[in-house]
Amino acid sequence: MSNIESWDWESKEKMLADTAEWKDRFEDVWEPYISSDGEKIASIIKIGEGEFNICVNGNTWEEPFEKMWYSRFSPDGRLTALISKDAEWTMAVDGVALEETYEYIWDTKFSADGKTIVAIVKQDGVYGMLVNGKVWECPVKLESIASHAISPDGNTVAAIAQTVPLGQADLDGFLKGTWSVVVNGKPWNDNFVGIYGLAISNDGKKVAAEYRAAICEYGIVVNGNPWIEKFGCTWEPVFHPDKSDEIIVPVRQAGQWFLAKNGRIVWDKGFFSLLYQTYSPDGNNIAVAVAPQFGKWTVAVNGQPWSVTFGECVQKPCFSPDGRKVAVIAKDSGKWLLVVDGAVLGEGYDNIWQPVFSPDGDKVICKVEKNGKYAVAVNGEIRGKNYEALWNPVISPDGTRAMICGVESGRYYRKVVSLSNI
Amino acid sequence: MKPTIVKREPVVDEALDQCEARLTEEQIEKVVNEVIDKETGGRLWTYVNTCIHCGLCAEACHWFLSNDRDVSYAPVTKVKDTIWVLLEKKGKVDGAFIKRCSEIAHTECNLCRRCGMYCPFGIDIAYMLLVVRRICAKLGMVPLYLQDTVHSHAATMNQMWVKPDEWIDTLQWQEEEGQGFVPSARLPLEKEGADIMYSVIGPEPKFLAQLLGNITVIMKVAGLDWTMPATAGWDNSNMAMYSGDFEIMARVERLHHETAQRLKVKRIVMGECGHAFRGAEYDGPTWMGWMKPPIPIVHAISFYYDLIKSGKIKIAKKAKGPITVQDPCNVVRNGGLGDKLRYIMNAVCEDFVDVTPNNRYNYCCNAGGGVINVGPPWKKKRVQGNRIKAEQFKRTGAHTIVTPCHNCHSGIEDIVDFYKLGMHVKFFSDILIEAMEIPEHLKPKEE
Ligand code: SF4
Ligand code: SF4
Ligand code: SF4
Repeated sequence: MSNIESWDWESKEKMLADTAEWKDRFEDVWEPYISSDGEKIASIIKIGEGEFNICVNGNTWEEPFEKMWYSRFSPDGRLTALISKDAEWTMAVDGVALEETYEYIWDTKFSADGKTIVAIVKQDGVYGMLVNGKVWECPVKLESIASHAISPDGNTVAAIAQTVPLGQADLDGFLKGTWSVVVNGKPWNDNFVGIYGLAISNDGKKVAAEYRAAICEYGIVVNGNPWIEKFGCTWEPVFHPDKSDEIIVPVRQAGQWFLAKNGRIVWDKGFFSLLYQTYSPDGNNIAVAVAPQFGKWTVAVNGQPWSVTFGECVQKPCFSPDGRKVAVIAKDSGKWLLVVDGAVLGEGYDNIWQPVFSPDGDKVICKVEKNGKYAVAVNGEIRGKNYEALWNPVISPDGTRAMICGVESGRYYRKVVSLSNI
Repeated sequence: MKPTIVKREPVVDEALDQCEARLTEEQIEKVVNEVIDKETGGRLWTYVNTCIHCGLCAEACHWFLSNDRDVSYAPVTKVKDTIWVLLEKKGKVDGAFIKRCSEIAHTECNLCRRCGMYCPFGIDIAYMLLVVRRICAKLGMVPLYLQDTVHSHAATMNQMWVKPDEWIDTLQWQEEEGQGFVPSARLPLEKEGADIMYSVIGPEPKFLAQLLGNITVIMKVAGLDWTMPATAGWDNSNMAMYSGDFEIMARVERLHHETAQRLKVKRIVMGECGHAFRGAEYDGPTWMGWMKPPIPIVHAISFYYDLIKSGKIKIAKKAKGPITVQDPCNVVRNGGLGDKLRYIMNAVCEDFVDVTPNNRYNYCCNAGGGVINVGPPWKKKRVQGNRIKAEQFKRTGAHTIVTPCHNCHSGIEDIVDFYKLGMHVKFFSDILIEAMEIPEHLKPKEE
């Protein structure tokens, strides 16, 4: 999150918009989004037949558009939307549409500081990446782009792209390889049967992905160089937070899942299933979601599964800033549960959003849903009031306060509360 | 064991022919034993050892019944000629044998599981034939068009090579179509926290886009909070499950279920498709290690049943004349939705005429199990292999057949055409959209 220090951590409560009133003003009001600092709330609005605009804290952009969708704030607070005018598509940022237009545009993403904004575009049947308003130059005509990723500093943009045209029902052509990875406009030398699970190292220097070598043969390819080891199946690779030469990945061998680091299996234990490998912030610990047996899910930290298991699933684990604690959202008997270090905190909910730890790891805060209302839960217990809409709380850099943004009776509030009081 | 007498018109399927030429006996032996030792368990051996070769299962199979009781089409023959031999010879067979295995498993069995109901021991022939398909898939012995569909799943995560922009563009277009009926209708994309994620199968955006317009209207009239993903993960179908490529099957299912989790919905409602339900409800979660889908999945039949029963959708004018139905095996025989299907049919039709046999005992459409996906080379055999379905429909005297499953829909259209039944084939939502009441305040304003 960019410039989090400079956000307003002093004002206890600001009522920034009355969204109920928007519903009277406009024909239709879509679901709202807020800026990361909580200062702005925006919804796409319909003002007439084929006429859309966006309402930000009660004010609309100057110019309406024929169609609009995918309004998202960049981490530095700029509001983007995908818009169409004269039947052509482009992106608008803070009300200003880019001059260049495209046949289609989708999947906007941002660098961590918000300075780089990317989206996929198609023009004359050719696919490309739009990076800060310019489509990258690629020597190969891209037939499709399946997904893309951006490094935290925004300098590396990588895409999984179809680099070779393929005729109808051309099985041999497919198995020769029609997919590759394109990094800042430059495709890797080789094409592959399939590419999945794109990842970029935090320093932006390495790009890794799963590749499919044959019908039932998978491996990992880094900067275009495949690992020698191949597996029955793999899931997406993850880079060490500091060391771009260390990659962990779930791999399947002889019907069991293992964790592999740089091609070698690290824990001797295999699992029925293994997903969502996560490093601690310092990179010294690894947590993964595992099913030691069919239908029994838990988290394994450094290879050691918790003793508690859950019947339905667990999601991606998350570490406390000091790396000592692990929280995860699990599902059992139809309820979502917050679990920290193997202990369920509080009761079950209809939904739980990704938890955040306080800096000392003592508190885990998250947005929860119960009976159609949203609330903030601390260590699994609901604190404070219910909201009609709520965003995940953000903790101040000094770790003393939390920003809570939510809508009550149509009014959008941004609140800052002391962590010790909630 | 006596060899089976097999009479078939020759079919040219390039993929099978080329694979036969390429395969070595070492490769075959290795893969057969790998699959049998590492991927199957007691279940397979129990089935093989329990069978008393009584042949009662033959009476269940539409292939056998439609081909003048040709024994080579009997369920037990299909396993006798494939997995039994592979087990007995410990995989020491040649490419021609594996090719015949694929022909039997991929083109002459729909995995519909009707035979299992007639077997005194409940032997699941379909499971054994899926093991055969798995072996074939690992050897690359998959009919051309089915393999191409699986490649589409692998490359695009949908069945029809639909590119990401084509998907979103189609949804936005169908939203406008829906607004023609109900101006305030919306097809909300990527709405996190909606109650429902609606997912469909690849052919909907490709060939049957009006179904997306239909659902836009239905959701609005029913007042539901729903969304559709603007990313891959929208396609709930899965031909990789049927070719035997379980890794791609799992990748597709994982993405579908994780997309629902990412969107934080309470349930996935899926369109009218049988095999997609099987993949999303059972096969996919099972491979992933999930006891059941992390976000519950609701088939269109249950969904419409709830909407009609609760009065969220009211019926204004029932469809006229005799209308009959197909019971998709994967949601009726194997999913128990037959009674709900009859409830909704009676709710929207003035004169619903049931088929005999019906419900769990209904015959398969002969398109499912990936059999329609093996494509044009095999079409003639497929339609000839379901004469009894044509006769069954003819007996109803209906003018329209409702098929709450895409494969049933296409397969039955072929049967209607081939046997000159002169009937229409429709999805349930096509009938519902005509029959339902659109409340006054939602109707387009007269100019
Ligand atoms: S088509 Fe159905 S009845 Fe015939 S063998 Fe296959 S599963 Fe059994
Ligand atoms: S009915 Fe059962 S026991 Fe008899 S031949 Fe068929 S599978 Fe074997
Ligand atoms: S296509 Fe339809 S009837 Fe046919 S096997 Fe599937 S579910 Fe069964």
